[in-house]
Amino acid sequence: MTESIVPEAHSIVTLHLILLADRFPLFSLLLQQGFRVKIQAGTPVKGVLCEQFGLSPEYVQDRIKTILLDGKAVDDMDGAILKDGSTLALSGPMPGLAGASLRRDGLLASFRAQITHRGDRMDFPPGAEGMITVKIFNLLLDEIGPVFLQRGIYLRKRDFQDFCKSLPEKFQKEFRAAGVNSQKSDLEDLQKMDWLRKNDMVFLSVDFAGPSLKRAI
Amino acid sequence: MKILRINMGAEGGPKAREEPMGEFEGLGGRALTSAIVAKEVPPLCHPWGADNKLVIAPGLLSGTTAAMSGRVSVGCKSPLTGGIKEANAGGQPSQMLARLGYAAIVLEGGPKGDKLYKIFINKDGVKITADQSLKMLGNYDLGEKMKKEYGEKVGLVSIGPAGEMKMSAASVAFTDMEMRPTRHAGRGGVGAVMGAKGVKVIVIDDTGMSMRPPKDAQKFNAANQKFIEGLKKHPVTGQGLPAYGTNVLTNVINEAGAYPTKNFMWGRFPACQKISGETQAETETARGGLATHGCHRGCTIQCSGIYTDKDGHYVTKQPEYETVWALGGNCEIDDLDAIAMLDRLCDDYGLDTIEMGATIGVAMEAGLAKFGDGQASINLLKEVGKGSYLGRILGNGAAVTGKVLGVERVPVVKGQALPAYDPRGIQGIGVTYATSTQGADHTAGYAVTANVLKVGGFVDPLKPEGQVELSRNLQIATAAIDSTGMCLFIAFAVLDQPETFQALIDLLNAFYGLNLTGDGVTDLGKKILKTEREFNKKAGLSAEHDRLPDFFMKEPLPPHNLTFQVKDEDLDKVFNW
Repeated sequence: MTESIVPEAHSIVTLHLILLADRFPLFSLLLQQGFRVKIQAGTPVKGVLCEQFGLSPEYVQDRIKTILLDGKAVDDMDGAILKDGSTLALSGPMPGLAGASLRRDGLLASFRAQITHRGDRMDFPPGAEGMITVKIFNLLLDEIGPVFLQRGIYLRKRDFQDFCKSLPEKFQKEFRAAGVNSQKSDLEDLQKMDWLRKNDMVFLSVDFAGPSLKRAI
Repeated sequence: MKILRINMGAEGGPKAREEPMGEFEGLGGRALTSAIVAKEVPPLCHPWGADNKLVIAPGLLSGTTAAMSGRVSVGCKSPLTGGIKEANAGGQPSQMLARLGYAAIVLEGGPKGDKLYKIFINKDGVKITADQSLKMLGNYDLGEKMKKEYGEKVGLVSIGPAGEMKMSAASVAFTDMEMRPTRHAGRGGVGAVMGAKGVKVIVIDDTGMSMRPPKDAQKFNAANQKFIEGLKKHPVTGQGLPAYGTNVLTNVINEAGAYPTKNFMWGRFPACQKISGETQAETETARGGLATHGCHRGCTIQCSGIYTDKDGHYVTKQPEYETVWALGGNCEIDDLDAIAMLDRLCDDYGLDTIEMGATIGVAMEAGLAKFGDGQASINLLKEVGKGSYLGRILGNGAAVTGKVLGVERVPVVKGQALPAYDPRGIQGIGVTYATSTQGADHTAGYAVTANVLKVGGFVDPLKPEGQVELSRNLQIATAAIDSTGMCLFIAFAVLDQPETFQALIDLLNAFYGLNLTGDGVTDLGKKILKTEREFNKKAGLSAEHDRLPDFFMKEPLPPHNLTFQVKDEDLDKVFNW
């Protein structure tokens, strides 16, 4: 079994941001490289997507055409089980021969037979809390990215700091409000990063105050 | 339609003549280039010699109002693979040539002396002029010069310095809608053959010509409408490709562990998000470039774009997936600006970006530059443009560079560099890389129509042993699609939507007054492959050349730690039908 990546509660700082909706692209790189969320380990991919993440079954079936679990292409969403420490990547359908090969239940699945996810045996207790890394790509970024950001995502301190460095100067104009551990904070305090010093992980949630974004749920 | 033949070695200077299609009637694109090369070029000739021919052929539907019909094929005996070659490109010239009534231009014979020629073609005929002022011009400067002479409504087919220096990685450039030299028939050194013919540029002016009329306009227009609807409603051709271009693949291939990194040492590039299609599109949009743009008029997918620098100045067209991988992840470069500059230089010098990325990766492994150093890559590429001794080695591709620099891990098949999918991760593609008539080529088995056509029987997608059969079917279907002038990206909509596939067949039938069926398409694909295989056999390429380099069988690729597992005897069955 993989070593648990669930952090201790005392090592987590919570940050809530309120931003304008049209700054959603700020988070694109973060969502592509991966963030962490808590799940009930031992649940199949489909169960996590629909029941724990709240995505509709129709959306999952029609839009999430490519799923990679620990780098292996998933065809059977009910047979592939998420464990603590798993990495789940979600994508729309891809172009190209390789893209088509990786597609869920695609006609060219034999091309990537050696990296097809063959399903899991339940050799660990189901239901325990676990933490997985989620990566969101391409068309799904706009569609389900805001869903995860609103629910909240966990980021390692280093990844959060890298994210902050990537913010453009005009971020100030887009910033509306913030709260650190439920205490109101202004942009200046946020940028000092003192609040981050004693913590290993950030639980980041974001609300978009402007025009509503596309939603998948 | 007619064929324009230009004998560059004729007494008294190059001479042009027009011929009826004759035995080549009904052929276009790859079917036509390969048929002419196979019939008229001695397989053992020297690729730069007078006996080789360069054939430029629009597709069967080019010059019509059919959407996506702007591809053009370039064929010859390849200086890179030693076998038959068909490389294709988008851009404007295909439509223009077809509207002028040309099914092909054939450059033949060997020029006397070192004169460099420009060829002007319009409705009144052909004019061939020696022009030494064009010597060693980059494709961009050449374009500006031609604009001043001929205006901004012409299309250009040209070579850069790499083609003039007869480098085996040299491409033939085709101008886009903005008359920039951004669309390249890149693979196999076709630009070197054009250089050997002494032709710098073909200027095409279709003023006064109209669209080619279909035999049955009503049926043709109805089929075209259905075809466009099919492309627009499909999530790949209607959403993914327009939004992000082909580079949308970077994240997914990387996550699957099949993204060749550091000269094929690893299957994942940790910084790939910095050069992904998603990041590229956001960068372009933020800087005032374009993330959605077509490469020719009549393109409805719009998978290209305009890449600008931080100040909003044009650098290059949106580099596509293969380019971003070759000049990026394969060399551990995670800087989109550096990759864009490398792409621009390749377009300007007239070089295949896949071949050059693989070559720089090999050079980095040899210690000529550090992996990840974008500026060092730019400097290496500039050596190619200058034609220094080092540049001439690099400009002849990964195989030559590996041999000269003593590198064992050289990712080539039949001398041609592998594209952006590691065959240890996605092994079915390895079958196509190994056995394609073209050398390692991801587009040789691209047309994912195979199971729709059911060529060679239906393949169960979940059985690993289907890889050989599937590769065969894909290569057959692709050879046929390459003959239509249709962009291969239509294949996704055709794969998922039988009515879109039928619309494609209906387009061909309505235009030519045919009753083509899926079987007819299959027969065409088989005929092309058979022709190409026979040429290659006579040129000295045998089953032993249908193999991946040894390191793919010996070096496990992280993160899945796989080697290529398809057996040689199975590879030898690909062309058994």
